[in-house]
Amino acid sequence: MNLEGVYFFPHTSRPVHAFASLSPERNLIIVDAAGTVVAQAPFKAVVVSQRLGRLRRRLKLPDAGHFETSDNDGVDAMLHQAGRLRSGGLIDRLERSVKWVVVALLLAVLSVYLLVAYGFPAAAVWLARETPASVATIISEQTLQTLDRLALSPSKLKPIQMQKARTLFARVSTLGARGAAGYRLLFRHGGVVGPNALSLPDGTVVMTDELYVLVQRDDELEGVFGHEIAHADRRHGLQMLYEGSLIPAAIVLVTGDPSQLGQIAAALPAILIETSYSRRFEQQADDDSAVMLKRIGGDPAALGEFLERMDRKLCGQKGCSASWLGSHPATADRAARLRNESGRSPNGGQTRRPAPHG
Amino acid sequence: MSDSATDSVAAPTLHTLEFRGTGGEYFRIWIVNLVLTIITLGIYGAWAKVRTLRYFRGNTFLADHPFDYHASPVRILIGRIIALVLLLGYSISARVHPYAAVAWGILLLFALPWLVVSSLRFNARNTSYRNVRFNFVGSLGGAAYAYILWPFLAVITLLTLWPLAHRARDYFYINNHTFGGKAFFTKFSGWSIYRIYLLGIAMLFGLVLLAVPVAILVLLPLGLLKTDPKTMGALLVGPIALLYLAFLYAIYAIPIVVRTMSINLALGNTTLDGRHELRSTLSPLRMAWIVLSNAFLTLITVGFYYPWSRVRLARYEAAHLSVLATTDLDEFTSEAIATQGAIGEEIASFLDLGIGL
Repeated sequence: MNLEGVYFFPHTSRPVHAFASLSPERNLIIVDAAGTVVAQAPFKAVVVSQRLGRLRRRLKLPDAGHFETSDNDGVDAMLHQAGRLRSGGLIDRLERSVKWVVVALLLAVLSVYLLVAYGFPAAAVWLARETPASVATIISEQTLQTLDRLALSPSKLKPIQMQKARTLFARVSTLGARGAAGYRLLFRHGGVVGPNALSLPDGTVVMTDELYVLVQRDDELEGVFGHEIAHADRRHGLQMLYEGSLIPAAIVLVTGDPSQLGQIAAALPAILIETSYSRRFEQQADDDSAVMLKRIGGDPAALGEFLERMDRKLCGQKGCSASWLGSHPATADRAARLRNESGRSPNGGQTRRPAPHG
Repeated sequence: MSDSATDSVAAPTLHTLEFRGTGGEYFRIWIVNLVLTIITLGIYGAWAKVRTLRYFRGNTFLADHPFDYHASPVRILIGRIIALVLLLGYSISARVHPYAAVAWGILLLFALPWLVVSSLRFNARNTSYRNVRFNFVGSLGGAAYAYILWPFLAVITLLTLWPLAHRARDYFYINNHTFGGKAFFTKFSGWSIYRIYLLGIAMLFGLVLLAVPVAILVLLPLGLLKTDPKTMGALLVGPIALLYLAFLYAIYAIPIVVRTMSINLALGNTTLDGRHELRSTLSPLRMAWIVLSNAFLTLITVGFYYPWSRVRLARYEAAHLSVLATTDLDEFTSEAIATQGAIGEEIASFLDLGIGL
């Protein structure tokens, strides 16, 4: 067996057209075009680079001379002849086999799916639960400050309206995981945010004036509070934060490419995943809210009716088309789910009298 | 392709780099790397990195000879584990105490020169061409000068000195690389790099000034049609989306244009051993097109275009870098270089410090 290639004398960059062969004594013999032996060494002391694509193989001699050849099959045969072909060729065989590449492709898709669908959410739940309260407080304060600076302004509600909202909030918050003292209600004028309520990880619930004036019954506002308290209890905000940072981190770790390209490529799945998470979170918060409402004798369906009214107010008579960007489940679906919850409850029919507002 | 047997006192020959890898071949390597890395929870990543770099260097040819990459995966794995432990330490302590983040930031600032030097040294020493290794001989002081002092000066002068900071970084990078003990050297005037940045700023201003009249020109005829609002809305969606995309493209393209021109400037003025001249003729607009269309295609294929995108970029870059060699490049001899650990390299790559030209 004779491999054709190029030989470099130790430490030089001058290529010499040469041939390599294995002697019966298992020595690697390298001869130049004229047939003169230019180098030889025991084959077991020769370092052979692993096969990779059509890359030239490098046979490094103990004296730092090296022989390189494009004859990959010839090198493998030589290794085989010398009894040295071990696991080194396994990866290359995987890469060259169409069957295994297809298997790898499917495995990649499957494992990414499992990681994204189960791994990251589980990790985020764990991280969110383990986050110390002091950190949750800092994050909440920062978020509130940013919101105040960018969008929100002081509330224009009358003291009596605030008092009313606080009474309802206190009633619902006693059912929260942290007890009534673990939550506080803040009033803000929404401006561009419009009718909205949001919860921060430390148990702060912010309600905009615009939301308050849309409320027609006490149950509705209680339902909203229950929903926001559930978000805080389940630490949905922190989970979003962790999920948002876990995905790009994992992509960088796996692809080893933190370049612009990788980051742009990472953005799309992250957005898709985030919207599906927030869908799940809204549903969980609705369910928790329904449970709380039932315990204080309210009607869970009221929240659904309120959401539908808010929808009509925001999107005109025909309602918003589908679920807008998918970030919230379609309001009709949520309302139906809440009505269902209300119907199943034994005392769900005991709707309290509508209370005038405003 | 040159014949290595020609006389070494012949006229200078222009050798252009050539990338011979293909997207399909790299795709197979990439997908196997990806799967093995995921199922070994990242451990195989070190081997994957070596295979990837070997594939790219080994398929880059100069005068019919390939480059080669020699790093040991085990060293890279050790480096990664240490980098990961440090990063975990950072994120945990930053969560427990907010000031810990500040402390780590200061520590990073002091460690930066070491990270830069050891990352560049690791990459250079593990790269070879024709049996001869590259090396990086930059000092910690030099790294502090280029990566801390100059950026600091640029910031306190409201970025007016930024092009000079950029030049200091390029000088540090190129002038400290050696091949077979012979130095690379580049030198160019401050004005030549200022000109590139001024052009970039002019492009940015031009874009903003252009956006308004173009928007009016495109949207006005549509507005004059006096159709009813519903049809009007449908008519406007297309042009507005197109304008927006064109604007977005231009915004992302400008930094790439500036970077490409500065690479051409720095490498185009580089010599090896004072005799062999480097040429860099990358087209800034073509580079912007390749990088941005690659990003777009990778995005819409959920990442599966990525192997082809890397090959496409490598092929274009190689085809526009050449060496005007006064000899056959066979006079180089290897110097004795100790191998070194990969800790600095791995921390630097985890932090994406963007060390390079």
